[in-house]
Amino acid sequence: MNKQTTLSLLGIGLLSIGLVGCSDSETEISASFDPVNMTSADQANWSPEKARLRKDALTPYPALGLEALPADLEWTTHPGTPYLGSSEAISGGTFYTNTTVYPLTLRTVGPDSNNSFRSYLGANQWSLTTLHPNTETPIPQLAREWAVSADQTTLYYRLNPDVRWSDGIPVTADDYLFTLEFMRSEEILAPWYNNYFTEQIVDIRKYDDHTIAVVGNVAKPEVDLHTSLSIGPKPRHFHVLDADWIQNANWAIEPNTGPYQIDQRSIVEGKGDYVSFTRKQDWWGDDDPMYQGRFNVDRVRIKVIRDPNLAFKSFLKGDLDTYPLVLPSFWHEQATGEQFDRGYIEKLVVYNDTRQPSTGMWMNQAVSPLDEQPVRLGIQHALNYDKMIATVLRNDYVRLPQHYTGYGEYSNPDISPRPFDLDQAASYFREAGFTERGPDGILVRDGQRLAFNVTYSQAIHTPRLVVLKEEAKKAGLELNLQLLDGQNAFKNVIEKQHQIAWMGWSTGFRPAYWEHYHSANADQPQTNNITNMKRADLDAKIEAYRSATTAETRIALSHEIQAILHDEAVFAPAYMVPYFRGAHWRWIRLPEAAGSKDGGGIYDPFTAASGGLFWIDPERAQETRDAQDAGRSFEPVLEIDERFKP
Amino acid sequence: MIRLDPITRDRLTRFQGIRRGWWSALILMALIAFTLVAELFVNSRALIVHYDGEWYFPTYGAVIPGTTFGEEYAYETNYKLLQKRFADEGSGNWVLMPPVPFDPYEINSYAGEFPPHAPNFDRGHYLGTDIAGRDVTARLVYGFRIAIWFSIALLASTYVIGIILGCLMGYRGGWFDLIVQRLIEVWSNVPFLYIIMIVASIVTPDFGMLVFLMVIFGWMGMTWYMRTATYKEVSRDYVMAAKALGASDWRIITTHILPNTVSVIVTFIPFSVAGGITALTALDYLGFGLPPPTPSWGELLKQGTDRLDAAWIVTSVVTGLVLVLVMVTFVGEAIREAFDPRRLTRYE
Repeated sequence: MNKQTTLSLLGIGLLSIGLVGCSDSETEISASFDPVNMTSADQANWSPEKARLRKDALTPYPALGLEALPADLEWTTHPGTPYLGSSEAISGGTFYTNTTVYPLTLRTVGPDSNNSFRSYLGANQWSLTTLHPNTETPIPQLAREWAVSADQTTLYYRLNPDVRWSDGIPVTADDYLFTLEFMRSEEILAPWYNNYFTEQIVDIRKYDDHTIAVVGNVAKPEVDLHTSLSIGPKPRHFHVLDADWIQNANWAIEPNTGPYQIDQRSIVEGKGDYVSFTRKQDWWGDDDPMYQGRFNVDRVRIKVIRDPNLAFKSFLKGDLDTYPLVLPSFWHEQATGEQFDRGYIEKLVVYNDTRQPSTGMWMNQAVSPLDEQPVRLGIQHALNYDKMIATVLRNDYVRLPQHYTGYGEYSNPDISPRPFDLDQAASYFREAGFTERGPDGILVRDGQRLAFNVTYSQAIHTPRLVVLKEEAKKAGLELNLQLLDGQNAFKNVIEKQHQIAWMGWSTGFRPAYWEHYHSANADQPQTNNITNMKRADLDAKIEAYRSATTAETRIALSHEIQAILHDEAVFAPAYMVPYFRGAHWRWIRLPEAAGSKDGGGIYDPFTAASGGLFWIDPERAQETRDAQDAGRSFEPVLEIDERFKP
Repeated sequence: MIRLDPITRDRLTRFQGIRRGWWSALILMALIAFTLVAELFVNSRALIVHYDGEWYFPTYGAVIPGTTFGEEYAYETNYKLLQKRFADEGSGNWVLMPPVPFDPYEINSYAGEFPPHAPNFDRGHYLGTDIAGRDVTARLVYGFRIAIWFSIALLASTYVIGIILGCLMGYRGGWFDLIVQRLIEVWSNVPFLYIIMIVASIVTPDFGMLVFLMVIFGWMGMTWYMRTATYKEVSRDYVMAAKALGASDWRIITTHILPNTVSVIVTFIPFSVAGGITALTALDYLGFGLPPPTPSWGELLKQGTDRLDAAWIVTSVVTGLVLVLVMVTFVGEAIREAFDPRRLTRYE
């Protein structure tokens, strides 16, 4: 299964504060946290001299030679989009942030590696290219130039020869070829990567030390090729792929290419409480104009704080520099008080225009009468999402128009959310034959009540659903709330045992129609077609979409498919949160245009595309501390960035 | 008129003599009786509607659509708005609302404010609203109704099973007693809270199912006391005498032994009631109880502790819980005192 197709039941709150962490017990952590072992065996692995020796001992992979490159390649490079960093940025200082669990391992592949800490490690393992967060066009990272093959399956890259691993050894084509060997290896115990680097990435070829090709399995538009083929290299001189790899790599610090590297000492001294990253003093990207004014802080210390409320208290004390505040209860009730009123902590709302998780009611067409389109349409008009947003969500959330919202050109702009309208609901229900109301006010057709179970898994959503339930009664529709725990709710839905499911799908880079709406996935368990959608003309369009190689065809088909889906009304979209909001102490400074279209980056210290934009202003830090001691105030700050407001 | 035997009359007089227990019992009885007609006092449906010469009593019975009273909508009449409309029209039509004009499910929203709404006498929210905008008074009253009847149903079922089995064990003795004892010991070791949590996470339990589950894992307690009490009674002379006269086992158990063990049963009742209420509240608090949006004290408590800034929620429910549990304890204490066998013992 592709990672983008990985299904995740998500709560919007969880998603937006990025806490989809694994809950681990103390014992597990102490069992796998073994700094003593690491300092002896693994540190030896990590010494630059030893690495250099090993590098010299490795025979280079054979090259095909530059004459083997297709002659008609058109090389492209940075498209000239503006750089993100600020010229006012000051470098230096330590940035304090938090995570919910201590990592079980420092590996990024293999057992236990897929935890929330991995994003910090992954953000410093850069790739060949990435997409610009605002334009979504490819921009260079470790490659300087690239070219697309004539059959649109392969990307050719010219590597940036300046790129060096954190131990100073240059990154060459051999490291990319080794990546293929590494990812296909059974020793890493990572079936998903084994599969991806076999099925999706068919081959990697070397033409000289700084020219490679990555071969994909199917033809795709250029941007899609970049998202699937622009891999990151693995240090060939560092890894020994044997049966002990998992064990040896657990606490070894793998050389990386990004601006920061884990501080070896922090693993030992942090004792499971924190991990620090230090800025590389002589990073290969320091002179590149793309990274000017970025990655400014010298150290990033990531503290482990399990409970979000405790973490917020630490933030208020000044032990953390920033805190995300997307949940309404945090923003409205907790982020108030002296530190905010006196301007020590500044608040920030940054709108984005990106792919939105699809939260709402998913109707199972295997259940009568949900197989009737008028009934589904009636339900759409009987759901008072506006009232839910206006009351329990404090008008913080926005109506979601459809399943695929925020996919740029791939989203059909003509689809708008259906309003709560009792007349329309009544006329659709009448069309379906539901004309009489029973003694309890619920519509009845030949003894069949218009009542459905709504399966959901998060208790914090209960107040939201209660509003829908009470309002739906007015339309003669009964919704019975069925709160199950996460796993059971998920099982219930994925096996198509539900009637209506209240849930959200996470997003992918492109709309994924086949898994959600193709008849091949209908009427069978363990597929993502939870509405049991099967429609021949839709199938044909989905297949055409999958095999189209030009962006224009895909976009046109995408719009048509979305129009059909809107018409079928199997999904009643609820809300989206098209912004990031948070708070930071006033010594944290951000460039004027810190927000990006894809919503990432604001307080993110590392990510190549849009991270590391902020800096710490030591003068303001001193000023703030003095003001706190003296009881002086600053003007309270609430900055709202609406450039990407949809 | 039931004729009470002198001992029972004596006990009752003594019970009445313990003032706080007696008053608590009276108040609790009144509250339980009140829950039976709560709809007349706390309800969004009107008590009486007088419309165009016709009389309507919407409290009990089917939903009356708004169209009946000349409103434009086909769903259930909003009587509060109807009352306002009639008052504005001044056409002689009128609506009589209950003292608390809210039902526990109704979501009240007020322009420019977000729930939870603070207590407000003008709007009739005497204890404010919860985080979804539902009236706390209504949630408390109906939550109490569910909790107390849950408790009574639980008590009745566990006692029936416990008394029958306990009596049989004590009366029969021997192998039967031995085997059932071991069974109960094994069964008592099943971690019943976990079982309920597991079941509740797979299916959403309703009232009957929750009672059933609690009975299945909660009947054992009473058997021990009944077994001991029966053993004691069986060895008494009057049982021998009854046996000698040829009375059947059933007659001996029901007419001779049971009445003599009643003091054991009665002293446990108040504590079982308290236990039932706290069990349901705890389950609801943890989210494993009755499905939302059922009004429940546990759910209110959860909301209240999550939102300490909306102090009226947590204050209301904690006050309610404490008052009820204290009263039940007073009753229990008084019963124990009144039924204390040592005061009646004539031989030593």
